[in-house]
Amino acid sequence: MSILEVIQLEKRFGGLEVLQGIDFSLNQGESLAIIGSSGSGKTTLLRCLNFLERPDKGRIIVNGQVIFDADDPSTQREGEVRKKRLHFGLVFQSFNLFPQYTALQNVVLAPKLLAKELPDFTKNKQSYFNEIEAHGRTLLDQVGLTDKLGAYPHMLSGGQQQRVAIARALALEPDILCFDEPTSALDPELTGEVLKVIRALANRNTTMVIVTHEMDFARSVADRVIFMDEGVIVEQGTPEEVFGNPKEERTRQFLARYKESN
Amino acid sequence: MTQLPMIIQRLSESFILNGKLFALTLLFSIPLGLIVALGSMSRYKFVQGPVRTFVWIIRGTPLMLQLIIIFFGPGLLDLPFSWPGGDTGRFTAATVAFVINYACYFSEIFRGGIQSIPSGQYEAGQVLGMTKPQIFLKVTLLQVIKRIMPPSGNEVITLVKDTSLARIISNKEIIMMAGEYTNQGLIWPLFATGIYFLVFVGILTLLFARIEKKLDFFKA
Repeated sequence: MSILEVIQLEKRFGGLEVLQGIDFSLNQGESLAIIGSSGSGKTTLLRCLNFLERPDKGRIIVNGQVIFDADDPSTQREGEVRKKRLHFGLVFQSFNLFPQYTALQNVVLAPKLLAKELPDFTKNKQSYFNEIEAHGRTLLDQVGLTDKLGAYPHMLSGGQQQRVAIARALALEPDILCFDEPTSALDPELTGEVLKVIRALANRNTTMVIVTHEMDFARSVADRVIFMDEGVIVEQGTPEEVFGNPKEERTRQFLARYKESN
Repeated sequence: MTQLPMIIQRLSESFILNGKLFALTLLFSIPLGLIVALGSMSRYKFVQGPVRTFVWIIRGTPLMLQLIIIFFGPGLLDLPFSWPGGDTGRFTAATVAFVINYACYFSEIFRGGIQSIPSGQYEAGQVLGMTKPQIFLKVTLLQVIKRIMPPSGNEVITLVKDTSLARIISNKEIIMMAGEYTNQGLIWPLFATGIYFLVFVGILTLLFARIEKKLDFFKA
């Protein structure tokens, strides 16, 4: 069964139709790469999934539960949106780490705040916090930053910051982890270390949606690829289908342009 | 010269009024300024419009004039409200005028600080399931404080010297006290008041430098 279903999603900014009826689904453990030129709506789609933008039409279904329906205001109440967005994690292009917290504090802040809402929190505060901290350390260890737990973001390189951001998103154990061009703000020599972490997540069957300009990476890591252009999904399929044997002219043109510029 | 100790003592005593006005203004204008800042950022036009107009009027007219209007206004306009008599009334009116005036200046510093935080900080908090108050308290507040420290230091230093404007409604602050000697033909007490302000501002400058240094552990 698919863990995520997106049905006829539409979003407009003023007169501009950024998403014009997006349909796709994603299975548990799959990684989906979304490619396309700038302005094609990839990032907006990701922001809709994370409730940072409100779609004008359509539905989003996670694990069979309708978590957003543009026609049903009861799915859009703020208090519930907060809980529902926890199905998703988001790694931003510009990291957006909290500058006043160390790497470990960045990772454990949100889980600690959420733990405070548990009914038995006051009684078991210390054990909750110990557990969260241990988990945070494990996650930073997984992204190769064991020796940077106490470092503040400005002391880290872009690649290290992005790896902290990935650990931070993983800390809440989202069903679906989203990446919004995770290496676009990095110097070329730093993209490798971030891609390596994402690849390791894919190998452990983390369900992911990755918006990326790294075509070789998308081809080798993703289980499925979506090519978007001007707010619609032009083509989707396995990496072999989309990259190796694109059916649509627009996909061929995009991939040819990409090859030329590299 | 036999007058010297007496003059110093009277100048020092009168400077206490400057200090009290300074402290009370800070104490009340900072929270009020935060409320005004939130009002001027409100998405509701019927809140934002009047608040911004009010800030424009207060920042657009001399504080000296505001002191006069606030002190004499109620009597001249036959309002049912009046200031208490004597020194208490004069000082209270001065405090109210200073608090309103400085709240408006602080509000613009706060607004600038709050609006300078990149939207990515709020969004990162949101996708991590934080509530709006949590994002404000745990994520943005300290960054705002760090950013507003230098302009706030400026404002606080200006306030020290502005307190002497309270003499316009006959508060016996240090310059008014020195002026009494000037009227008797003795000019140096007026010059000496500069030392009081200079020392006070010096202490505040050191204090602000310390706070800024404390906040130096992160970059924002």
